[in-house]
Amino acid sequence: MRHVPRQPREGINVSDTHPLVEAGTLVVGLTAIFVAIVLFLVFLIEVVLYFVPAEKEAALFRDWLPIDLVTVSPDDERLDQAQALIDALAAQWQDSPYKFRVEIDQSEVANAMALPGGLIIVTDGLLEQVESENELAFVLGHELGHYRNRDHLRALGRGVVLALLFTVTTGRDVSGIGITVSDLALRGFSRKQEIAADAFGLGVVNAHYGHVNEAWRLFQRWDEGNDDRLDLAAYTSTHPQPADRIERLEELAWIEGWDLEGQVTGLGW
Amino acid sequence: MDADTLHTIELFLNFGWPLLLLMTAYFIGTIIERNHFRRIRKREAEYQSMPVVTFETMPNDWDASESTLVTGSIVVSLDYFKRVIAGLRGIVGGRVKTYEPLLDRARREALLRMIEDAREQGFDGVYNVRLETSRLANSRGDGQGTAGVEMLAFGTAVKMASRFAPRAERF
Repeated sequence: MRHVPRQPREGINVSDTHPLVEAGTLVVGLTAIFVAIVLFLVFLIEVVLYFVPAEKEAALFRDWLPIDLVTVSPDDERLDQAQALIDALAAQWQDSPYKFRVEIDQSEVANAMALPGGLIIVTDGLLEQVESENELAFVLGHELGHYRNRDHLRALGRGVVLALLFTVTTGRDVSGIGITVSDLALRGFSRKQEIAADAFGLGVVNAHYGHVNEAWRLFQRWDEGNDDRLDLAAYTSTHPQPADRIERLEELAWIEGWDLEGQVTGLGW
Repeated sequence: MDADTLHTIELFLNFGWPLLLLMTAYFIGTIIERNHFRRIRKREAEYQSMPVVTFETMPNDWDASESTLVTGSIVVSLDYFKRVIAGLRGIVGGRVKTYEPLLDRARREALLRMIEDAREQGFDGVYNVRLETSRLANSRGDGQGTAGVEMLAFGTAVKMASRFAPRAERF
């Protein structure tokens, strides 16, 4: 048998697609698929919201508390006062299907959250920073606005959707990027919701006090002093910038003819 | 530090850093790969006169005077770029195009090392050549990720009684 010297042939085992072309195709294609899935699931959440009325939600989550919540002691005087304030504010929303409960979370970051079933969480950090009842009333009113528009369920649904996608998509790098992308995409929706909640909240505050004096004083302080910007970074990434917010609130008060002057109620603690 | 600076840092850590790593891995990986393929082709051209076959038994026209086992092995690992792109490919499936050149390099390099093993000992041909792959331990603590693969080429090298000159040619 004759030996014919021959070199291995090229291009049989290695595809000639340029690695960057391959990378580009995959990134663009998968992003498109990912965005489509997220949008579909967001749409699905809306469908679910349509079929689960607020009454049903309130009944379903009546005694529910998130497991990772670190609440203050039940004897805390701020708890009773905040509860009384929310009850007074909720009275201004006549056909509210919820019975609101307030819990104080022991967290340094100033924030308030609307959770399913009418559970409103305010943080220690927020209560430290508010200087009058009117300021707190606006924050609580804002959360009432979220209940009215049912944003709290949307937020929850999106959290579940993102967590689901995170576990389904394999590889940490891949899903990490995906989550950040969809997070950014959803932020646009989130801002719109915050503006609507602000408008409702201010209406409630006006109905309760008869004026809107000091309602957005907290945001003015945040806007003026840069001292607590570090804490605010997380908050402002999902909420409108304080300055934009104040401007919009002032405009709204002017359009509605709400009184900007009035007796400011102090805090009882 | 104000919120804008923090936001920029956050953006960099989320997108900029992996992208920078990806680009660095791509450029360095491409240079290494190109140079390796160049060396492989040069050596393949140099050794092509040596018969290396996969027959299980020695071709009966080889008049062997001596034989031994020769081996060549290489351990290769992925670069970050290939790993990420293959990870994306893993979602939808299909040809993992970024791994193909890597494994092609591994096979050819292992064969070349086996041939070099044979040549350095003065052998004239190799038969019953086999290739084997084994996956190395995991690169991550959670049992995921591949540290690399070993490609092993081995065969039976023989010295011809008369320097390689197939019998068929002599008659």
